[in-house]
Amino acid sequence: MKQAAHRHWRNRPAFRALVRVWDAIGTGLANLLAALVVLLYLFPFSYMLFTSLKEADQLTDSNAPIWPARMVTFNYEGEDYPLYQVPTEEGVRELALFNPRREDSDFIDPANSGAGLITWEGRWRQLDPLYEPYLAFENYAALWESVDFPRYMGNTLFVALVGGIGVLISSILVAYGFARFPIPAGGILFMVLLGTVLIPERVTLVPTYFMFVRVLRWNGTHLPLIVPQFFGNAILIFLLRQNFKSISREIDEAAKLDGAGPLRTLVYVILPQAVPAIVTVALLHFFYAWNEIRTASLYLGINPDGYTMAFGVQRFQSYFPSGNMLQASALIAMAVPAIVLFLVQRVFMEDVLVTGMEK
Amino acid sequence: MRPIVWQGRRSSCESWKPTVSSRLSTSRVQKPGRRRRTGLSRWEGRVGLLLITPWLVGFLLFKLLPILASLAISFTDFEMMHPDEIQFIGLRNYFGILRDGDAGFSLFATTGFAIITVPLQIAVSLGMALLLNSKRVIGKRLYRALIFLPSVVPGAVILYIWYGFLDPTTGWLNRLVAEPLGLPRFSGLGAGGFDMYQIMIALWSIGPGFLIMLGALKGVPEELYEAGRVDGAGPVMRLFNITLPVISPAILFSVVINLMAVFGGMQLLDRGTSFVGQSPFDNYIYNVMFQADQLGYAASLGWVMLILMLATTVAIFATARYWVYYPEEG
Repeated sequence: MKQAAHRHWRNRPAFRALVRVWDAIGTGLANLLAALVVLLYLFPFSYMLFTSLKEADQLTDSNAPIWPARMVTFNYEGEDYPLYQVPTEEGVRELALFNPRREDSDFIDPANSGAGLITWEGRWRQLDPLYEPYLAFENYAALWESVDFPRYMGNTLFVALVGGIGVLISSILVAYGFARFPIPAGGILFMVLLGTVLIPERVTLVPTYFMFVRVLRWNGTHLPLIVPQFFGNAILIFLLRQNFKSISREIDEAAKLDGAGPLRTLVYVILPQAVPAIVTVALLHFFYAWNEIRTASLYLGINPDGYTMAFGVQRFQSYFPSGNMLQASALIAMAVPAIVLFLVQRVFMEDVLVTGMEK
Repeated sequence: MRPIVWQGRRSSCESWKPTVSSRLSTSRVQKPGRRRRTGLSRWEGRVGLLLITPWLVGFLLFKLLPILASLAISFTDFEMMHPDEIQFIGLRNYFGILRDGDAGFSLFATTGFAIITVPLQIAVSLGMALLLNSKRVIGKRLYRALIFLPSVVPGAVILYIWYGFLDPTTGWLNRLVAEPLGLPRFSGLGAGGFDMYQIMIALWSIGPGFLIMLGALKGVPEELYEAGRVDGAGPVMRLFNITLPVISPAILFSVVINLMAVFGGMQLLDRGTSFVGQSPFDNYIYNVMFQADQLGYAASLGWVMLILMLATTVAIFATARYWVYYPEEG
């Protein structure tokens, strides 16, 4: 009987309404929290966007607002004079500073310029200047003029595509070998493959550099960026192998009985079932190739025409010490990977999840 | 090869019990014909070997050979500028590391860096994954892509943004956060040889770990939560006793990929950082290599790094069985 009363109380409309309200508040708070967290996490990107649209003058002006702005000026007889907020007997007036002096200054009233100069007692440096929003898109135009972005992009695409084809073909073949064939000592070899992931790049750097530069004379070419890709990439091989192993063997056993060779089985049976994994791996390589600067800075430093996008942008620091240009170049450099990410996020993300977890 | 071992074991054991390898046994039972290496399987082995040849050759050329070469260099006083004056000096470089205060300090700082950043990365990515796994949140796909975004942006870009953002005079951290809240101003310097930038940059590389955790969270069976609710477990208890144990393999995976990034190993998603290295020790090796031009010494430092990396990884996997939950073995 007690139980029944309890249920009765819980089923009362007022209580149900309260639960619904409580639930709605919870949903609202969860969404608010998610939005806030993501906003906070990405907040520095807004610094980049805002700074890239500022004029160089604003960067050194400590009074300037945080948003892109320029000082409001008043044109008087062909000259521009900045406007300040001047406290007078009639309240704060917006006056143009005509003749700045240390202890007092001459101002012009823009609304009534014919009235002549207004002398104001006080230090003009302590006045607040007047700002209006101004987006300096000319930063981007200037950057585009002075830097050969199309060439950088062409170089990067060349490296990414040729290297990408190489790394895809080799990694698919190797992953197929590990996933489907009884390779002698295959288990040990696969552990070695996973172990190579742990090798710090610094350890192999000097001998590799020596081989590429002194022996092969590849300095200044794109070959050191491309050729190693044709030997596969351990992480991509691992991801592909995990995926191939999750594909049922039945169809390729059947194909084998029908007389299909290993390559035919790979191309007609395995690959069509592994498209999402291959797309993921291709994208991982694309992001890597687009952003890579360690190899590029080692071998392309002497060949400015061969710069890749990320390396070129890294070099801007010495060309353009001013922050606005730096941030504008950063925005241009990240545009392509960002756009690609948003275009492909569906297939890319889902699959990284699935393949990554199968370790 | 395996079937032979299997057959032997089976005949020697009187009472056969299903062990860990029982999972493998099913496929073997279906193929009784493959007791010995037949001609067919030998042929298949050769095909497999042929298929992995690209990686084998690449491994020899770009990993094994350079590693052995750098081991050889580490026993010499090799300098790029004076390659002819190379001399074998035995273990002197390695003893030198013990006396090198800068190396010791950078190593100490790297350990501190790993101790700070890796748990921070795990906590932030786990927190965001938990938040975005909530059924209440709408627009998850957009959020996911946005959280992933910093992980695909060039390293140089990330660095410019954070240098600007954290700049002591013009940066937004001081202007928008520290000043209005009356907090002490950020001076631009960090403690212990690494700085705030590197921590923030590490925090902006959690994309893959975050996705893996989100995927793991989606895979937690709803029945477990139902059972927990029936037993009267609150949200906190459900998190610690259900969610975290079930997704512990994903946490292990994230710890490993984040640690590898600290020690300069290969990364799942490499953004290409070069002029600020991955860690203080990495920076130190870079300086010894390119500014001091002591390649022999740099090689010995690199080997120390490699050994530390291997030891750390082995240690993590050795402790994994105490805190990582493997359902198929449990």
